[in-house]
Amino acid sequence: MSALPLDDADIHAYVDGRLASARVPEVEAALARDPALATRVADLRRQNALLHEALDPWLDEPIPERLVAATAPPETKGRWRALTPYFAAAATLVLGLGAGWLARDLTLEQAGTPTTFARQAAMTHVLYASDPNRPVEIWAPEEQRLVRWLSRRLGLNVHAPDLNGFGYALVGGRLVAGNERPTALFMYENADKQRLSLQVRKRPGAGETAFRYAVEDGVGVYYWIDDNCAYALSGQIDRAQMLAIGRLVYGQLAAADAGAAAPPK
Amino acid sequence: MANDPPLPHPDLLAAIPRLRRYARVLTGEASRADDLVQETLARAWEKRRLWAAGTDLRAWLFTIMHNVFVNQRALSRRDAQNVSLDGEDGGAAWQIPVRPTQQTRVELMEVLREVGRLPVDQRAVLMLAAVEEMRYEEIATALSIPVGTVMSRLSRARDKLRRATQAVPGETPASLKIIK
Repeated sequence: MSALPLDDADIHAYVDGRLASARVPEVEAALARDPALATRVADLRRQNALLHEALDPWLDEPIPERLVAATAPPETKGRWRALTPYFAAAATLVLGLGAGWLARDLTLEQAGTPTTFARQAAMTHVLYASDPNRPVEIWAPEEQRLVRWLSRRLGLNVHAPDLNGFGYALVGGRLVAGNERPTALFMYENADKQRLSLQVRKRPGAGETAFRYAVEDGVGVYYWIDDNCAYALSGQIDRAQMLAIGRLVYGQLAAADAGAAAPPK
Repeated sequence: MANDPPLPHPDLLAAIPRLRRYARVLTGEASRADDLVQETLARAWEKRRLWAAGTDLRAWLFTIMHNVFVNQRALSRRDAQNVSLDGEDGGAAWQIPVRPTQQTRVELMEVLREVGRLPVDQRAVLMLAAVEEMRYEEIATALSIPVGTVMSRLSRARDKLRRATQAVPGETPASLKIIK
């Protein structure tokens, strides 16, 4: 008979690393005394490892487009429905313009001009990130001047997010040409000389998908649109890391916006 | 702004692979699993006011997915006789292809097959505890069951899986057939 009141739940919690740390020595003492229990724990650990080995590869499968689309806020749809009775005619006109716009994009694309934001961001990233000597126009030591300049040229306040938490330091930035709008580019680099860029421009017309992840010619691009701006984070890193960095940038920009929007009472 | 605060999109996107995996194990079928994920995301946006910002979005999404799944099952089985979620109905719909690759060991295929034979409630608890590594209290919340039930289902699931995963010294798994 065991001296310790260990029950089945304790064993599972121990295997899952969920047992209160104060009780762990109790369990370990019991394991040392009881070879059958030790075998059982080893079996359960092995089982967890096998489950991970069997199921973890699924996590790397590409995400279907319809699920990516389902992560975007459904707001547009709701507003649209509310307006429909009043603006049916206008809607038809807008749809017509939209179709024309798409046709124009298609023509440009065929002419070799990248037109989607993601595609353009990826190509711009490759162009400058591959330049060892002059990836940026203004270097990080002059960050304030860089930010002032870009804010003036874009006509909105931009910030260079801090990605040091992920090991990426700001290299600097530059102004780049968008199809219609000037775009700010911030370049980051980690210890392995791996580069990432964040591109920011004024919000394009309404109607674009708010959030997307795309891979363009081997460059991962995570881009999203908020009330004022469109952002694209580009780099040759895997999706999980890209999303983690995206989450950080998104959070920092939201915090900066909240600070800027606070009523100056 | 009067609008509801948006859900943190990068977190939502980052949660998808895990939601898909869980859904696939629950439904036993890849396309139904993606339907379930899509419905879960739609529901999450509808109910976004109920998400407390700063809390674990993933655990909240698993909770929603569980509710959507249970409702869908209840609807699709309304006319069936044995509606019990605890029934031994595990393997019935299991269509997860087990693709033998160079690295795939017979053992891994056996594990997947055994998971498919578990009743769906035990499968859910096993996934959340052993694979998603959620706390038992979080699992209890996500599945709307007491922690004691989480423990007993987990225990039963693991006992059944043991047969397939137990290391048997001196015995090779050569008697198992690989089905291509």
